[in-house]
Amino acid sequence: MNLAPDALRLDIGASLRLFGGLPALLQQVRDDLAAMDLPARLAVAATPLAALWLVRAGDGAVCTDLAATRAALASVPMDALRLAPPLARRIEGFGLRRLGDVLALPRASLGARLGKPFVVDLARALGELPDPQACFAFPERFEQALELPAPVEAAPVLLFAARRLVAALAGWLAARNGAVRAIDCLIEHGHGQVTALPLAFSAPVHEAARIERVLKESLDALRLPAPALALRLCAPQTVVREAGSLVLFDGAGQRQEALAELLDRLAARLGAPAVQGLACHADHRPEHASRAHPANPAGAPATTLPRPLWLLDPPEVLRESRGRPQRAGPLRLAAGPERIESGWWDGADARRDYFIAIDGAGRWLWIFRDPRPPGGWFLHGVFA
Amino acid sequence: MNPALAGALQRGDIRRGDAFAVAPAPTLGSGFPLLDAELPGGGWPRGALTELLAEHEGIGELGLLLPALATLTAAGRAVLLVAPPHAAHAPAWAAAGVRLDCLRLVFPRRPRDALWAGVEALRCGGVAATLLWPDAMLRDGLPANSLRRLQVAAGEGGGAAFLLRPARFAAPASPAPLRLQLHAAEGRLRVQLLKRRGPPARHDILLDVRRPALLSQAFPHALAGAALPAASGSRRRSRAAA
Repeated sequence: MNLAPDALRLDIGASLRLFGGLPALLQQVRDDLAAMDLPARLAVAATPLAALWLVRAGDGAVCTDLAATRAALASVPMDALRLAPPLARRIEGFGLRRLGDVLALPRASLGARLGKPFVVDLARALGELPDPQACFAFPERFEQALELPAPVEAAPVLLFAARRLVAALAGWLAARNGAVRAIDCLIEHGHGQVTALPLAFSAPVHEAARIERVLKESLDALRLPAPALALRLCAPQTVVREAGSLVLFDGAGQRQEALAELLDRLAARLGAPAVQGLACHADHRPEHASRAHPANPAGAPATTLPRPLWLLDPPEVLRESRGRPQRAGPLRLAAGPERIESGWWDGADARRDYFIAIDGAGRWLWIFRDPRPPGGWFLHGVFA
Repeated sequence: MNPALAGALQRGDIRRGDAFAVAPAPTLGSGFPLLDAELPGGGWPRGALTELLAEHEGIGELGLLLPALATLTAAGRAVLLVAPPHAAHAPAWAAAGVRLDCLRLVFPRRPRDALWAGVEALRCGGVAATLLWPDAMLRDGLPANSLRRLQVAAGEGGGAAFLLRPARFAAPASPAPLRLQLHAAEGRLRVQLLKRRGPPARHDILLDVRRPALLSQAFPHALAGAALPAASGSRRRSRAAA
């Protein structure tokens, strides 16, 4: 496979059986091109150069052997060869309009008059000389842009255009057996104004459908500052795709994947800070004992004393009446005090006496008294 | 009995009023044998909504779920908390036996987002249990059609689905097949079965849910005063006691 200007050349000789014959393969190529909304013409020939010339001349030529190729080439107009202008003028000067006219002339005199490279090309097109092709090498980094046919005001509408870029990205990833953890979607508004929409995935992804679903949530939550004129998709880094053979046995892998996808979509729509994990952090101050985005999910708590499931941030100020804390009536202190004194080193030092309190309605609360002036009682947690 | 009627009664989707419905999916043991005995299928339903209508916050409403959550997370299954009312205090969840790396919390900012996140979480086959506080930010509570959307989503995902709601929403009808009202009862939890797929419950259940250990068990070094001593005074006395 390689690219000529305006043309994509595929070596299909070895793939006919796989795709169920030539007509089926051609139909699939046409369908794929239509899905990407690319108008295209197809031609099949026995040599790469002949195929290129034929497709420039028209759509639908199918020549599966050299004889048919030679016959079809005879009617190709000379323009289709895209020769250098001086050469083209000279051939026109000879009155040669079609390739058939050229092929009818003796090859030796053609070489003398029109130059050796032209004769070599003819020989390659006819299959008389080998024509080795360089294989297309996928770029190392994916970046593709798309001009929108009309300015787009609403971000969700961009999804339709973005689908084509995502399909291209998925194809690029498939060719490299790669996956991405993050992609950048850039929305260009003209005048150098760009809205960046970074997409992050909790696990490497490679399927177009999954990338699209996360992109959809991001676009749904986005408000454009100005109409969008173009879209650009970049994959700065790829990772090697992980083999998924273990998942067939217990379904745990599929569940993990479904969960990862859900979390990605939640983060895309609600914002990454809205989706949190939970881990203990060894700090005696309750407000520092949890980590929402843990780097090390296996942190150990600093204490084994009773702690409430919910923590109020900030603590709620409690009324005090005759030295006793009140919240919808006086609170009964059921346990305490537990003195927590910590954090003097980082400027957020705390010195508090904690109690477990039960109110008249049966709520179990975690309250503290600040022994330092101005003092007072605070509700810090709920034993839910 | 009329043979046609007897035949109809054999159908899986028809239930006689005096018998428990056959749970469509294996249930999830609640960790409370007294409660499991009263629940159709012997545990929390999967693939259907369970409403927990707590009289107040802090009476042990989560304590009712903690054994089940501990079981699920111990098996590596994911638990999602959607729109929880407060920040979670990690040491307490860990102490209750919940594996924290299996826990995810979602904090939507708008009611619409909370409902969307709830539906998506319930629908996801990768989530074993979803705890949703659907009425947060809504003065009149969650509308009935939203409840139905959640019920449908729970059926698709097949995980356990708990809606934690204030008791004032106990009166309006709900599509949830299991509804429990929770009352505080002197350090225990009184569970009133408002609705279940089975005969109406005759009596409430009293459960010993997880409560913080009190007095000398938890604070061996500190003095426990029911009447409030000044903090410094109590420490002096505890030293004297030691």
